[in-house]
Amino acid sequence: LVAIVEPQDEFAEFEDNEFAEFEHVIEDEEEGDFLSIETEDEEEEVLWEDVLDAEFDDGEADVQVEDDEDEFEQFDDEEFEGFDSERTGRKGRSQDPPDLKITNVPYHLRTSWENFYLEILMIGGLLAYAMNYVAGKTKNHKLASAWLTAHKDLLEANFTSVGDDGQGAEVQSGILMKESEHIYSIWCSGRVCCEGMLVEIKLLKRQDLVSVISRMMRPSADLVTVTVDLGVADMDSFVFAVGNKKTIGRLHKDMNDLSLFVPDKRPGEKYGLPSGMAILSESGEVTNAMIDNKMVRVLNNYAEMFDFLHISDQFSGPKVKDGDPQPATKMPDTKKTIIFAFNVPGQGRSSVKDVFSMEPMMKLVFHVLDKVSRFRLSKEAKTKADKTRLKVEESFLKMTHAQRQEAAQARREERRRAEKDRMMAEEDPDRQRKMEEREYRRDMKKKQPKVKQLKVKMG
Amino acid sequence: MSAAANSSADPRRPNKVVRYKPPSQERLDDPTPDYMNLLGMIFSMCGLMMKMKWCAWAAVYCAFISFTNSRSSEDTKQMLSSFMLSISAVVMSYLQNPQPMQPPW
Repeated sequence: LVAIVEPQDEFAEFEDNEFAEFEHVIEDEEEGDFLSIETEDEEEEVLWEDVLDAEFDDGEADVQVEDDEDEFEQFDDEEFEGFDSERTGRKGRSQDPPDLKITNVPYHLRTSWENFYLEILMIGGLLAYAMNYVAGKTKNHKLASAWLTAHKDLLEANFTSVGDDGQGAEVQSGILMKESEHIYSIWCSGRVCCEGMLVEIKLLKRQDLVSVISRMMRPSADLVTVTVDLGVADMDSFVFAVGNKKTIGRLHKDMNDLSLFVPDKRPGEKYGLPSGMAILSESGEVTNAMIDNKMVRVLNNYAEMFDFLHISDQFSGPKVKDGDPQPATKMPDTKKTIIFAFNVPGQGRSSVKDVFSMEPMMKLVFHVLDKVSRFRLSKEAKTKADKTRLKVEESFLKMTHAQRQEAAQARREERRRAEKDRMMAEEDPDRQRKMEEREYRRDMKKKQPKVKQLKVKMG
Repeated sequence: MSAAANSSADPRRPNKVVRYKPPSQERLDDPTPDYMNLLGMIFSMCGLMMKMKWCAWAAVYCAFISFTNSRSSEDTKQMLSSFMLSISAVVMSYLQNPQPMQPPW
């Protein structure tokens, strides 16, 4: 007869008396080691185990019974009536108990599920967030690909390659690059008078429930930003921007080139533009050239779609925030750029139809692109522009001169300290003395007043 | 004014094709994924250490928010690690003390 202690039973013992588990574990180990060392063949081991178990269990059982009664005082006795006899019965004792098996439910699961209402709330929130994520992601993807299909033939008529992502050996086309769940971009290249054009479709974060809720308070619109990089010869030297007042005010403050080259902001009404628009321009001549009647007509018809247009040959991005640890010691590299920013109509609840209605804006892009490449400044405007650029460069150099001075000073300090360290580290004394002498002579030569030696030939 | 009516001939120049170069310095215009990631880490740490269940749940939310806002160029390992950390915080805090959660208020 083999009495293998069932695991569930052992678990029960642990359950009732916390401290027993330690003694029980230790005894088990000893018992286990003892058994494996002492006996070799299978039968003897089983017999030995049987004897030990039986003896061991009895003692265990009695102890068990007393503990049960003290701990579960509040439960009435009938409930445990079958408990004691059922255990001894299994060991083959005389009375046979009713065969009912009470599974021992761990104490903590007894509280009902309603108490976990906060957890259910949390899981519900997560599910809602996940569903909104999937819905928002597909909506954004649908809008972005709708923009590409709407403008595909116009782009293909103007560019050799539309939608290249730069990877792979030869040029691909038709690829909508996904920067993140709400930013898509398309790169087109291969056109007269421009290097390439990057269209960035910055949609709203429809996939993020938090931003969906925050947008309910203050609605905002999807943005399409078209950045055209121009070649060196493709544009004359001027800086110009037009757009609605608020954006133009922000740009005038933030952008390097606008704040340097454009003195003041002028209202757009004078040039026939809708009332909410303002102009930043380096010279009146540029404004007259840029704001032609076609531009005026388009801006008046689609005022809510147009955010701003920024043409500049000294474009170097937004101003470096003064919190930047190391201030720019050299002139930021400038390039000739035209930037358009359009709002997708529909104020956040835009659909594919709204995206398709943006086609005139792209026509405006190509119109402005051709006009800028054909436009040449007059003689005196050209000289004035070049003069201001030189002036800006000089003021920049003067401003960074002090910093460059400090940097040179720090480098010299660094070199001297390294020299001294090397000298200290030198072991044999005479080489050390020689280095000190050289150092001393060099310092003396520097301190010597700069005197012109005159060779006087005595008669 | 379609491109065909444009005075110059076809504006396309196959020889002037320039390949796309992603912008060199990633200008941080959207700091939310990084902030949420950091917040998620802090919440799951204090969820694990101080056994505060609502912190663990907040960590799961932060991890999910930073996942939805993350740029696709970001490596997924960081996302996965923040998710694993926050889920383990929830599981651990329930294993040690299976009582229902007490709201922080």
